[in-house]
Amino acid sequence: MTSQQSFLKTILDESSKHSIAKLFIHKGTCGDATDIVSVCEKQGIIELAMSLNAEIIETSCDGRCWAAPSVTAQKIDDGGVSYSRRFDRIDLGVKLKELAEVLDLSTVHNVFDDGATGLTSRFGQLDGTFLAAVEHGAYGVAEKVFRQDQKSILSKIEESKLSGRGGAHFPTGLKWRLAAQNEGPRYLVVNAEEGEPGVFKDRHLLEADPHRLIEGILICCYAVGVEKTFVYINGQAHKGIESFMTALEQAQNSGITGPKFLPEKMAVDIEVRAGAGGYVCGEESVILNSIEGERPVPRFKPPFATDEGLWGMPTVINNVETLAAVTTLWQDFPPPTKLVSLSGNIARPGVYEIPADGTLSWNGFLLSVGAELQTVPAILLGGPSGTFVTREKFDEQIEMKNIGAGGIFVLSPNSSIKEITNSLAGYNERESCGECTPCREGTIRLTQLLQQETVNLKKVEELIEVMEEASLCMLGGMAGRPVKSAIENFPATWISAEQ
Amino acid sequence: MIPFDVTADDAGDRLANLEKQLLTLPSRKSYLLPAFHMAQEYLDWLPRESILVIASHLRIPLSEVYATATAYSELRLEKPEYGAWYVCTGVACEAAGAQRIIDAIKIVPEKFGRTDCQFLCSLAPICTDHRGKILGRLTENRVRALFLEDSGDQQTS
Repeated sequence: MTSQQSFLKTILDESSKHSIAKLFIHKGTCGDATDIVSVCEKQGIIELAMSLNAEIIETSCDGRCWAAPSVTAQKIDDGGVSYSRRFDRIDLGVKLKELAEVLDLSTVHNVFDDGATGLTSRFGQLDGTFLAAVEHGAYGVAEKVFRQDQKSILSKIEESKLSGRGGAHFPTGLKWRLAAQNEGPRYLVVNAEEGEPGVFKDRHLLEADPHRLIEGILICCYAVGVEKTFVYINGQAHKGIESFMTALEQAQNSGITGPKFLPEKMAVDIEVRAGAGGYVCGEESVILNSIEGERPVPRFKPPFATDEGLWGMPTVINNVETLAAVTTLWQDFPPPTKLVSLSGNIARPGVYEIPADGTLSWNGFLLSVGAELQTVPAILLGGPSGTFVTREKFDEQIEMKNIGAGGIFVLSPNSSIKEITNSLAGYNERESCGECTPCREGTIRLTQLLQQETVNLKKVEELIEVMEEASLCMLGGMAGRPVKSAIENFPATWISAEQ
Repeated sequence: MIPFDVTADDAGDRLANLEKQLLTLPSRKSYLLPAFHMAQEYLDWLPRESILVIASHLRIPLSEVYATATAYSELRLEKPEYGAWYVCTGVACEAAGAQRIIDAIKIVPEKFGRTDCQFLCSLAPICTDHRGKILGRLTENRVRALFLEDSGDQQTS
């Protein structure tokens, strides 16, 4: 930045005023899958909004997937404070009179502002323009942070105890420092592969708030001294790719990635790469091979990516959510949070933001999202490499290290532990890349053993131990985890051939 | 999009066009996956001919290009057949009654396939219809209604 004058402020000053009544149509992947556009038309919502001169805005899912198809009506008063109300499940009917009341400027409402500042605070509120993102605070943290030196940024990240949100929970600050210590050129790889069944929070982040990710990337590039960034996005996340590419173009055109906004001598180069399938492609060394044009198989570790990553150079590999979370570290509230993807036997499945400091219990969380605890025998955390938490342990606090990437599947009284375990084992078998023997052969043997009527638990345990110890990457290393957890937590399900 | 057919009249033109498109990518190994995407987007699958063109543009041995292409589950090395409905059989969809959807679709067996998790667990059970559209929170009745609608469409068209 050449002067202390805020670049963002100039952008906002030049903007024209918006209309004061808005109808947000939550048309993300969730909205599309529930036919939101035709539902809106059928219910007369579009017609009503037009008759009231409300601006109709297509936006993303706001994380409340259970409410899809949904719309949010919003009105802004003279003081710029907004009143908004979401109308859920409009396919089941919508009270047009109530919708009209929000959009109609002649009706008065108590002002309502939830003051959200966390990771999901902009979900479902943006219209896809750069201006809307900046108005909602995008790049404000980067602008502040660019006035500090790299050292203090690294310290701040280490102090925050932010850890890798892809599931491994490696300390982010330490990772950045390790890469920064090494001679460049340095690379940043954003892991947006998100191929773990039951996890859909990165897709929501990409669709709903791509500028937050770009802001996180800019901060990392500055703090670590990154020359080139690759954003590796799951090839099936079409909306996410589209949304991120649009945001990137907006950022580039507006000058955010240029000298007007960035600190002196800093240049940012971001390239998007689409994946092409395979659970293993979410493994960090597989992504490196994929970007280099090699076969997508894992590498030996060490060397670690912070020493020898892309083309043998120091590389930071961060999950989408980790980089997005970086932008929340300089605000007073809330403390670091974690996104969780909730599905299964629950009234309100979707993407939720929970405290990452272990202050929330499973009971507290499940009740807050509408669970009837007596009908929940257990939850499954983290899909095919996850573990079960049974009802007896619901009073325990939610610890980041146990939660993986944040996939929470709620079981019902009808759930068959054996079926779920077999289904997860089958998934690991199909997704094994075949590079190392313990995983290639082990996942097949594990599925076979589990499908027996009387399962030889001793053999299962031995096999899992070999896979844990000898697999090249965590797909094989953790494939036995849900099986072990199922045997531990539900011993009655398993009739051992040994007994 | 019409899948590439080596016996079709336009086969030569399409390959020549692909070669031209590939020129926009730097001739470096790192662009192998983007080249696959480019070819698959244009030809709908990766016929042998396209692999040859990619290998020659990026100067990578053919065997290596094949080895890499076979490692990605979303790259199609065979001409795709369309018209099937794919039911997600991830854990959340199975719990939400994927089997009932499968039974409803199975009435027309040639129209049925299964997929692993499609990452829309919050709207389970889901299915991708024959046009590639994702349908969330699916019920057997809705499947039946859609099938009726579809056969109606075909009769009128």
